[in-house]
Amino acid sequence: MPKTRKTREARAPRNFQDLILALQRYWAGQGCVLLQPYDMEMGAGTFHTATFLRALGPEPWNAAYVQPSRRPGDGRYGDNPFRLQHYYQFQVLMKPSPDDIIERYLGSLTALGVDALVHDIRFVEDNWESPALGAWGLGWEVWLNGMEVSQFTYFQQAGGLDCRPVSGEITYGLERLAMYLQGVESVYDLVWTDGPAGRVTYGDVFHQNEVEQSAYNFEHADTTALFAEFAHREQACGTLLAAKLPLPAYEQVLKASHAFNLLDARKAISVTERQRYLLRVRALARAVALAYHQSREALGFPLLRGAAT
Amino acid sequence: MKRRDFLVEIGTEELPPKSLLALAESFREGVTAGLDAAGLAHGKAQAYATPRRLAVHVRRVADAQGEQKLERRGPPVSAAFGADGQPARAAIAFAESCGVAVAALGRVTEPKGEFLFCSVTRPGAPAAKVLPDIVQQALDRLPVARRMRWGAGKVEFVRPVHWLVMLHGGDVIDCELLGLQSARTTRGHRFHAPKPIALRSPGGYVAALRKRGFVLADFAARRERIAAGVAAAASEAGGEAIIDPSVLEEVAALCEWPVPIAGTFDERYLELPPEVLIATLQDHQRYFPARSAAGGLLPLFVAVANIESRDPAQVRAGNERVVRPRLADAAFFYAADRRQTLASRRDALAAVAFQARLGSLFDKTARITALAAQIAALAGHDAIPAQRAAELAKCDLVTAMVGEFPELQGVMGRYYASHDGEAAEVAAAIAEQYLPRFAGDALPATSAGLALAVADKLDTIVGIFAIGEKPTGAKDPFGLRRGALGLLRILIEKRVAMDLRELIVAALDSVRADMQRLADGKSPAVPDSVVDEVYGFMMERLRAWYLEGAPGVTTEMFDAVLDMRPVSPLDFDERLRALGAFLALPEAASLTAANKRISNILRKSGEQASLRVDPGLLRDPAERQLAAALDELRTEIEGTLAGRRYGEAMRRLATLRPVVDTFFDRVMVMTDDTALRANRLALLAALQRLFQHTANLARLPG
Repeated sequence: MPKTRKTREARAPRNFQDLILALQRYWAGQGCVLLQPYDMEMGAGTFHTATFLRALGPEPWNAAYVQPSRRPGDGRYGDNPFRLQHYYQFQVLMKPSPDDIIERYLGSLTALGVDALVHDIRFVEDNWESPALGAWGLGWEVWLNGMEVSQFTYFQQAGGLDCRPVSGEITYGLERLAMYLQGVESVYDLVWTDGPAGRVTYGDVFHQNEVEQSAYNFEHADTTALFAEFAHREQACGTLLAAKLPLPAYEQVLKASHAFNLLDARKAISVTERQRYLLRVRALARAVALAYHQSREALGFPLLRGAAT
Repeated sequence: MKRRDFLVEIGTEELPPKSLLALAESFREGVTAGLDAAGLAHGKAQAYATPRRLAVHVRRVADAQGEQKLERRGPPVSAAFGADGQPARAAIAFAESCGVAVAALGRVTEPKGEFLFCSVTRPGAPAAKVLPDIVQQALDRLPVARRMRWGAGKVEFVRPVHWLVMLHGGDVIDCELLGLQSARTTRGHRFHAPKPIALRSPGGYVAALRKRGFVLADFAARRERIAAGVAAAASEAGGEAIIDPSVLEEVAALCEWPVPIAGTFDERYLELPPEVLIATLQDHQRYFPARSAAGGLLPLFVAVANIESRDPAQVRAGNERVVRPRLADAAFFYAADRRQTLASRRDALAAVAFQARLGSLFDKTARITALAAQIAALAGHDAIPAQRAAELAKCDLVTAMVGEFPELQGVMGRYYASHDGEAAEVAAAIAEQYLPRFAGDALPATSAGLALAVADKLDTIVGIFAIGEKPTGAKDPFGLRRGALGLLRILIEKRVAMDLRELIVAALDSVRADMQRLADGKSPAVPDSVVDEVYGFMMERLRAWYLEGAPGVTTEMFDAVLDMRPVSPLDFDERLRALGAFLALPEAASLTAANKRISNILRKSGEQASLRVDPGLLRDPAERQLAAALDELRTEIEGTLAGRRYGEAMRRLATLRPVVDTFFDRVMVMTDDTALRANRLALLAALQRLFQHTANLARLPG
């Protein structure tokens, strides 16, 4: 069991990539499979198959990964010091959620140099619900001196299915956490790395991307093509499910969901229609969840083999 | 019998702060109710609650239940024994269920025959056997909206649980609840005291947690300490803390070891409306804002940490840092929003749905503009400000500030309207449209605000009824119940006499027209019955309001007034008050009884009574007296009724008592002489009409 408070103060990560490395090292030490990002656009780390689909069914699963997340409507053309249309989440999923998952989480803060006897760390009720995924859970946002640095959720349902056992999900907003650790006021001032080849900032890496992608999201995204894409992805998802291919079918859901987010950013969907589109995405997510669960069952839930307990 | 204190503590992960107190109280009530039901004598019970624990301490709980006396009647003796005199199955089963031998059963003779009877006295079970069930049942009954599961277990609770203390005196009650084995060890503060703390007895619970655990277990004491600490911290920094009771309660539910820390923000943000600063500090961050002696906000707040930090400066700096981007955002929104007038935002409302079949907020704006003007005119006010306020009413919903702080709807509209140079009454009315927001909240102060508040609520209620989505059970997504009551309170308390049905009809006309237009004429017709439905719905809200809040009003009194179909809610209120005053008079009982008697006589006579009394046919002095009194009163009462002076009318009515009493003592109504009878019935009918001017007295009991 990890200790929440170590006498030996961990060295705080000095830059953005150190932060990622520290979290990866820590959670690998907790037994998580270190995965890489899913290679498709998604709104949050929860959409990665390693969370949304692996949270279903009885098989144990522990994973940690960075997930680039896109929220087209949050673009600010690189002008806003806090808001980005593309940002990073660090995601941890442990299933079943271990009894000491909170202590493990606090251990990760210690690994980032946060001393719990200096800083005010609080778990403030924040229940999570994703209408698009037909998922909900109970949990908290974690406050560090009044600032939200993580989301903590016990999944109760995903894709409309009860989660048994329950997964514990931890999501760190990496930019926000790094800004706090580095004490900078603009995300673009974050030091990404400061190595032998010199200092590179978050702005050096991403500012131009924020400017151009904001223009795309709000001005240039082809709404006619996106509406067509949504319809096509929805239809393809059905076809793939009929062929008993839940994983490719799920990628259609991701594509449809991203098309919807772009249409939303372009304000091409009225408020009333918006709800109907969300329900359509949810219907797809539910169907995929069910099909995926059946496919794992057909395989005899392979990961149960390793679970002696 | 020995009696010792009992303590149960459930250790949990952080509980939902807004329901913490309710959970704690329910737990305490559940445990004491369980003790009572089990016959375990006990003293006072106290609940304890922190983010990580729910506990109940009951003083002097008996070591065992009192003797349990069991008395049960069994099967009839005739069915209990076979022909051979041996006990039949029925007798054996009964004896078994009582836990005695058949031979130990007695007999009892009742009117229906002779039955087997069992009367045994058993020693009560020891408390240690009974207490686990009592606690389990109390936990099962906690008011939890959504219970959760965790890990691979099957247990469900508010949040995952980690330890269980069950102490009776110095003894641990050995049991398993919520999947936890009971023990005498509690735990302290998550960071200050992570090691288990052994409790010797229930009485030492609070002190052990305070001295060794860095935990203040008593919710009320913690709340008081926070209030005092926050006030002191603010005053030390030169201000006076603004302590909202609901924020104080939430903060108390978010910490075990509260440490107030004052922080500051950049003075230039004081240019923002105070509501914006308060929303940022209080609603989003749970900080306490502070003001100066002169009353204005200071660039100061007090946060409450849950740690005695080794370096409080870092906690302060962190909390100050969090509000900076939020205030910067708010300042940006405020400046950007004011670059565009509210009026120019009206077209943007077309893109915001109010409800699919009722159209956008633009459509709603058009409807309430017409309605508000009409209401203002009916109330005898200038319609122009009401109309202008209605045109602008929803425009702040598409500003950046309200997008970020939805709770500031209306308030921002007021600021922006003033900035645009709109009339003061128009600006005020925009904020007042949402009043009253809760029970006991203020009502609109301006006449434009009054018209707009009524129009907006009425349009929503009528619209939602028209599409067939009236509230059912707990489902009331548009807040129609609250809206209806708010509307009625405005009309009554602001003393605006307005025909409620007429208003409903006017609102329904606009709603219907919009529904047809939006559906290209293909909307299914909305039946006229919606008017009655809405009226009935409002009357039920009115009934609930009076029964809850007006002392002495009974549901029969409400129905007595409702029968008169009062034109306006104000008229309703005045009638109800007059009725209440009348019923307090000594004459009331006799007159209501007489009124009942008249109704019965008229009904049983089977004749259609004429209202015309022929003076020539009045024989008995008592009936002549009554007729004379009626003539005199009728003109008087009609005068008072025209002026809606119901109280006076009822007081005048009370003076009839002696003549009415004498009439019934002396006069035989159902005489065989048909002409006399018809005339007397006519007299009674006239009297009845007079009785029913204010309320239908026949509804009243007695």
